[in-house]
Amino acid sequence: MAPLLEVRDFHYYYGHIHSVKGINLRVEEGEMVTIIGANGAGKTTTLQTISGLTEARGIRGKILFDGKEIQGLKGHVITSRGMVQCLEGRHVFSKLTVAENLRAGAYRRKDAKGIKDDLDYVYALFPRLLERETQLAGTLSGGEQQMLAMGRALMGKPKLMLLDEPSLGIAPIVVRDIFRSLKEINQKGITILFVEQNSKIALETANRGYVMQVGEIVAEGTSKELMSDETVKKAYLGG
Amino acid sequence: MEVFLGLLISGLALGAVYSMIGIGYSLIYKASGLMTFVQGDILTLGAFLGLTFNTMLRLPYWLSLILTVVVVFLIGFLIEKGIIRRLLNKDVNLIYIVLSTIALSYVIQNGAQAIWGGTYLYFPSVFSVTTVEILGVAVQPEVILCFVMALVGMICLYIFMNKTKNGTAMRAASMDRMAAEACGINVSWTTGLTWGIAAGLAAAGGMLVGPIYSVYITLGASLGKKAYAGAVIGGYGNMYGAMVGGLLLGLFETFAAGYISSEYKNLMAYILLILFLFIRPTGIFNERAIQDE
Repeated sequence: MAPLLEVRDFHYYYGHIHSVKGINLRVEEGEMVTIIGANGAGKTTTLQTISGLTEARGIRGKILFDGKEIQGLKGHVITSRGMVQCLEGRHVFSKLTVAENLRAGAYRRKDAKGIKDDLDYVYALFPRLLERETQLAGTLSGGEQQMLAMGRALMGKPKLMLLDEPSLGIAPIVVRDIFRSLKEINQKGITILFVEQNSKIALETANRGYVMQVGEIVAEGTSKELMSDETVKKAYLGG
Repeated sequence: MEVFLGLLISGLALGAVYSMIGIGYSLIYKASGLMTFVQGDILTLGAFLGLTFNTMLRLPYWLSLILTVVVVFLIGFLIEKGIIRRLLNKDVNLIYIVLSTIALSYVIQNGAQAIWGGTYLYFPSVFSVTTVEILGVAVQPEVILCFVMALVGMICLYIFMNKTKNGTAMRAASMDRMAAEACGINVSWTTGLTWGIAAGLAAAGGMLVGPIYSVYITLGASLGKKAYAGAVIGGYGNMYGAMVGGLLLGLFETFAAGYISSEYKNLMAYILLILFLFIRPTGIFNERAIQDE
């Protein structure tokens, strides 16, 4: 069976800067895959280009989602095909309420019953969001905003959920919760690809991983393999 | 007391028109991050179009109003798609895009002059009676209509923005374009929608003031500038600020004209604006227009 997401010989040019230099990656249905690497390695660019949120003119190469080429499509079109991204830094709609944010995530959907079920699911997964349902999103803590961003993405009924640095700027104790929820979401059958600087927790959570370094993939394998790889250990897991 | 009531009523009607135009400024500023100079001239265009529907095609006033709003909504949508969006895609410095709206403003003014001529055109009365009495004050019924309709328009807008999917999407897109795209919202569509609504509101304003002031090519230009002042006083970029600021300015101006001097009413209106800029630049609604996001 073809993978759910396949990226083939993919390059990205930001003006004259060649920021992603011919990477290949794939995500099978049901998997949870991570891309780790230092700040500036091109992880965010890769993710945002896959989901159509960067300038399309810098793209070279192919991105296949669900068997179809999607490179160059607009972000909202890609979202409606079932690939939903949770952005770095959360990007909640600060002056909308929690409930309005979640409903905005379901903007493309018409199945009222399904939307209601997913809303119940999100509230069950993150009870704190239910408590703060009528609050403006801007008044939430960082961790709560991350939950909201994830809930909003779930409301789009994704086949593939992309997450960019879900741990960024969040209290360590909440980071554990976030990744536990991520695992739960994956166990529900939603395929996940996420980018993370915190390599340790990323590899503990994901099934497989890619290591990115200045625009190239330098290592890949199952999380176990990567965790025992000497170079990965040295560079990313603190020895 | 009669003078006071009379002024109050006409002040509210004028202010409500400022509010309608001003809401457009605020919506556009939030959605595109731009100041537009066409709002006022779109009001002129609306008044001329409505007049054409009403007197030349002999359509009833209400039908003319609806047709005008629909046509001008489309014009607003096309201005965004055909000019603003294209310039934004070229990564043009924002100030040049604002300049393009000034250019457009003159294109509309002179275009209107070419089509409808440079004279004052009489807009037929909407009602058969010339005055109605409210608490002992004789008032032109069109003035009441103006205030009531503006209020109805604003209530409809409020419901649209807060209770409908597209309204929420518009607000979401104006807060965070990228996140809105990630939610599946077509931001290019919602931005066009915003310009269309802004234009439609202004055109409705034109249809409402037409029967009161008659129609001429600079009708909207002066109202538009005042409405801008009203939006700044209310808190630029805030929809409710534009409503309150517009009403306040309309009342202030009308009372100043009635009790002090009608010759200096514009001067006093703009002095109020400058006072606000010095004392409370964020406006009544405390909108951080300048440092926003």
